[in-house]
Amino acid sequence: MVLKELELTSFRLHTKTVLKFSDKLNYIVGGNGQGKTTILEAIYYLCTTKNLNQALDKEVVTFNKDDFEVKGLFKEKVENKVQLLFSKETNKKNTSLNEKTVSKASNLIGKFPVVTLIQLDHAITMGSPAERRKFVDSVISQSSDTYLKTLIDYNRILKQRSQLLSNIRENYSKSLMMQLDSWTEQLVKNGTYLIEQRIAFCNGFKEYLKKSYEKIMGDKETPGIEYIFFNNNNELIEKKFFDLLNEERDNEIRRAANLIGPHRDDFLFTINGMELRKYGSQGQHKTFQIALRFGEFFFIKDKKGITPVFLMDDVFGELDTYRAQKISEYLREIGQAFITMTDFGKLEELYTGNGNLIIKVDNGIVSYEEL
Amino acid sequence: MQIAEPLQIAIDELSKLPSIGKKTAQRLALHLLKTDPENVINLIKAISDLKEKIKLCSVCFNLAVDDTCDICQSTKRDKSVICVVEEASDIFAIERTNEYKGLYHVLGGVLSPLSGSSVDDLHIQELIGRLQNTEVKEIILALNPDTEGDTTSLYLAKLIKPLNIKVTRIARGIPIGGDLEFADDATIGRAVLGRSDL
Ligand SMILES: [Zn+2]
Repeated sequence: MVLKELELTSFRLHTKTVLKFSDKLNYIVGGNGQGKTTILEAIYYLCTTKNLNQALDKEVVTFNKDDFEVKGLFKEKVENKVQLLFSKETNKKNTSLNEKTVSKASNLIGKFPVVTLIQLDHAITMGSPAERRKFVDSVISQSSDTYLKTLIDYNRILKQRSQLLSNIRENYSKSLMMQLDSWTEQLVKNGTYLIEQRIAFCNGFKEYLKKSYEKIMGDKETPGIEYIFFNNNNELIEKKFFDLLNEERDNEIRRAANLIGPHRDDFLFTINGMELRKYGSQGQHKTFQIALRFGEFFFIKDKKGITPVFLMDDVFGELDTYRAQKISEYLREIGQAFITMTDFGKLEELYTGNGNLIIKVDNGIVSYEEL
Repeated sequence: MQIAEPLQIAIDELSKLPSIGKKTAQRLALHLLKTDPENVINLIKAISDLKEKIKLCSVCFNLAVDDTCDICQSTKRDKSVICVVEEASDIFAIERTNEYKGLYHVLGGVLSPLSGSSVDDLHIQELIGRLQNTEVKEIILALNPDTEGDTTSLYLAKLIKPLNIKVTRIARGIPIGGDLEFADDATIGRAVLGRSDL
């Protein structure tokens, strides 16, 4: 899948910008604060309806304007027009696909898969377990609608259940305990599915990660990913899940919190069997983050049968020449990518093959240079 | 621009209705202003009758003119089956399909601790009361297939099963996250026919 055209209206620095892209690599070049990351931000909105860097939607609206709009034209076998309109007044986003309103964001996610490599990625290997769960969940969700819908349901069940636990703490009754049984059953049913899918994901993703890492660093280092959840010692996951909840019931009520389940799990990253978080160097962390994203790209491409678009925000700036070179070579295997950079000089080190495009952005004004 | 006060009040009241925005409300108010007085009086009467004459069926909580609704009064309905729905509007959806001949029971909501409602706000006790009548052989749960609907189905199944009554749930022909009220008739029809044991 490729993004052919993009139109931004009242979107940060872009009062009105129309862009046409190359099907291959699009280098977006400009100084800081000139509106180049903004282009990635807009593409990300079209694919996910969410903000790339977790900014608030209203912060994206051009100063003195009331709403922003992003329009894009995707092409796979057929053309698809996606449009997203945000209004400050209602603080709501309205998304449409081929002029028909999309009622839920989850109905759009995965249709136009996107892989990002951004500054915030350092949190995946260095941050809390929640960051790793977010990474894994988003990869599986983009390749499986059922996983995404189950995850949404599961999160809803967690909220309902913790409210109910708190009600029970305030005012114990048999009827509330019976309701808790029903919510617990739902928690286990949906949670078990998530756990099973995450186990399967780690098994499959391992090879993708290994291959990507090797492309960048050679085969002296072998990366690993392992799913850490309650130890079931070969017992059935569902049964173990129920048993643990039974053991923790009083604790759960006392703390009015869901203490067992996939919302508390973690993923362990290793290099040559050593835990990355404890023993990894800065360089290894960076390489790992990049390998995760390239692995994600090829994983989704294979599972979904649709080639994602790749967004890379200012990645080359912090890489040494060797790795920049390797990644630039790796990019030849990708379909369409959008790569922002501040440093113009770096371009010469990069792959600048036929059909690639340089887009210069200067204070929200765009000019092209074909390669 | 200053709008005459009675017109402004009418616009404000109309725009309180669901899916009526300010502009539509204005158009409706201006239309009413131009139309025959007779039409307006009929509309007012229809609205006030609606409020006065429609109440909830004392048996199933469907909308009714008498103490019990047309479905509960009918001699043609199969009294051995009760279909449990969330809202009265779900009954309209199922009735349109002409596939179902049994009775109904409107719960008036679903279990949802977050919305602050308690299980006593739902007509569950009344449902259990109806089951003391030995005529009832089967309960069909036709709640919306979302998290809250599913959990409520589980809860009801646990309550009803000890009474030795068959509990089934309508098949999942309905799109996930789609409300029963908005699903097309054919889908609901198939779903009611293809129900499964719970
Ligand atoms: Zn009735």
